[in-house]
Amino acid sequence: MKIERLNYRFLLLLSTVLACTILAFFVGFIREETIVYTHFFYIPILLAGVWYRRKAVYIALLLSSVYILVTLFSPQAALSVHIFERSAIFVAVAYVIGFVSEERAKGEEKLKETKEKIKEERDKLNLILESMDDGVCIISKDYKVEFMNKVLIDVFGYHVGDICYKAFHNRDEPCPGCKNTEVVKGKTVRWEWHSRRTNRTYDLFETPLKNIDGSISKLTIFRDISEQKRIEDNLRDAEERYRVIFEHALTALCVIEHGKFVSLANKEFETLSGYSREEIKGKKWIDFIADEDMDRVQNYCEERRKGEAPACCEFKFVSRNGEIKHVNAWIEPIPGADSCIASLLDMTELKRKEEELRETCKRLAELDKMKSDFLNVAYHELRSPLAPIVGYASMLERCELPDKGKRYLYNIEQSARQLEKLINRMLELARIDGKKIELSLEWVRIPEVVSEVVKSLEPEAKEKRQKISMSVPDIEVQADKQKLIAILSNLVSNAIKYTPEEGKIDINVEDRGEDICACVADTGIGIPEEHLPKIFERFYMVDTSLTRKSGSLGLGLSIVKEYVKLHGGIVWARSEVGKGSEFFFTIPKRRKAIKKGA
Amino acid sequence: MGEEKEKKKRVLIVEDAAYMREMLQEMLHQEERSYEVVGFAVNGKEAVEKYKELKPDIVTMDLVMEEMDGIQAIREIKRYDPNALIIAITALGMSEYKDAALAAGADEYLWKPFTINNLFEAFERLLRKRGRGSEGNE
Repeated sequence: MKIERLNYRFLLLLSTVLACTILAFFVGFIREETIVYTHFFYIPILLAGVWYRRKAVYIALLLSSVYILVTLFSPQAALSVHIFERSAIFVAVAYVIGFVSEERAKGEEKLKETKEKIKEERDKLNLILESMDDGVCIISKDYKVEFMNKVLIDVFGYHVGDICYKAFHNRDEPCPGCKNTEVVKGKTVRWEWHSRRTNRTYDLFETPLKNIDGSISKLTIFRDISEQKRIEDNLRDAEERYRVIFEHALTALCVIEHGKFVSLANKEFETLSGYSREEIKGKKWIDFIADEDMDRVQNYCEERRKGEAPACCEFKFVSRNGEIKHVNAWIEPIPGADSCIASLLDMTELKRKEEELRETCKRLAELDKMKSDFLNVAYHELRSPLAPIVGYASMLERCELPDKGKRYLYNIEQSARQLEKLINRMLELARIDGKKIELSLEWVRIPEVVSEVVKSLEPEAKEKRQKISMSVPDIEVQADKQKLIAILSNLVSNAIKYTPEEGKIDINVEDRGEDICACVADTGIGIPEEHLPKIFERFYMVDTSLTRKSGSLGLGLSIVKEYVKLHGGIVWARSEVGKGSEFFFTIPKRRKAIKKGA
Repeated sequence: MGEEKEKKKRVLIVEDAAYMREMLQEMLHQEERSYEVVGFAVNGKEAVEKYKELKPDIVTMDLVMEEMDGIQAIREIKRYDPNALIIAITALGMSEYKDAALAAGADEYLWKPFTINNLFEAFERLLRKRGRGSEGNE
């Protein structure tokens, strides 16, 4: 026996054996009896049988030999068959008890081993369940929660033993979507469940679980797919957003697979091509390109896929009914796919408009030329008959004429000159329109110009007994002298024309440093305010009634304006009806090179 | 005048309008001691032919005419006789025509309408120019 077995059982057994031995000696030698003490011997034999199984036989043998020895040496008793019979019964009893208790111990051990194994397995299973990312629970067929793993407890709290619909959903009866009945009947289901409590979505895998007692529970595995769901939703949203953009873009869009087939097209593409979306899908891309452009567009697409060609290419697009449309195409490879997106802009209308515009421009240019030509011809044809009038009149002057005849002749000549002037103005304007005017610039002394104009117009003023006064500083400007004279004489002759007899005309020139500002003021009839902004317009006449002053085509002021503009100056007027008008114009002293021809 | 001794200047009038031909003739008639109208032409082509035939001293040349215009005729005449004296007379207003006529070889330019004085002034300018020119040459 090993030392560790020296426990209380062993000590108790040893002490009962010792007590039995001492008692046997005491009874045998002192009281000289042998009959009674053998009964004590059963106690240690029983204990040994129970505790040490077959080893109880040794105790039985030991105690039998003590019994025989005590009997042998006792003064009263003598050895007999009776004594050996009792010893044999001791051994037999010890053997039987030892055998029985050993068999029992064997059974118990087996049971213990099995139990341990089961525990181990359960621990292992628990470990798996606890360390899983997924939630696991077992629910009995009457909705009782039998098991929850840690993941599930962390999320929903500990509810083992509770009724699942109460614990998880706060309901008084089973949930409408609950699959418990089906699963308990033996079906395995998989479904998606969104928990409003946790605001998460789970992929549920539910399968029947056979219990030891033969009943069936439901094993549910919760997989949290909220993140995946969110990504999917985002993806779907993004996809939807892009689909809407794609669909409603005002440009025709299509996706070309492998440079050959159209796999997707938007509404505008339908409109452009005349095909329905179903018809477009799978159609060859080249079917939309006019034959003559085919190679060019194919090459372009190829180069574009390599990223070499410019983004835009123009070609003729063939729609369903064979109609040719001019389109501008942008072809963009889709990264990571052997496909590209083509956006097509229908330029047909634009092209047509452009063509129309070009045609209109051409026609306008033609008309303009016609007008110019007409004016030139008209000028020539109007002047030609003037030649004999002026010519013969000048010859008549050399003849002896009565006074009356001389007066008539004078009137003829005056009218002819007037007519010539009007015709000249017409031509001048035609030339301004045709931009055929160029200034011949020189340094012009202003007093010289003013006195020349006044001298030529003085007779007219004198006739109306008008007084012309002037205040002109001695300055020089760089200008076209003839044009300057034309500007001033137009203004002064207007002033004379529209000022009543004995009126006053004032010519005033001011040196303003950079430029000069000239003013022709009169005390004439004035110009109504509403006409002021328009008086410089071509053919504009304040008075077109039959009572108007004759001898004007409404061209004088527009020529003034054009000439002043040519010099780089501005012209404006101020007037008060009944009191008079003031006409101003400026001429820069030095002509700036940039403004030339402006 | 100083030119009295000199030979009368022989003038060829080139004009498509009959009334102009008549007027020019009338005007020149006023100075019959200096000028003599030797012929008329109604277009450029006729003008060149008449020039070759008549060898006038002065040609008055209208610019707008049928068949051959004045500028072309000036060019032809000047090619035939660089010393020809030609005065272009026209109602065309644009200075481009004046430039074209002068470039073709016209010696003077007169705008329609003109007075009798304008005409003789132009003639005198023309002859003075030639006078200077010939003095230089001789």
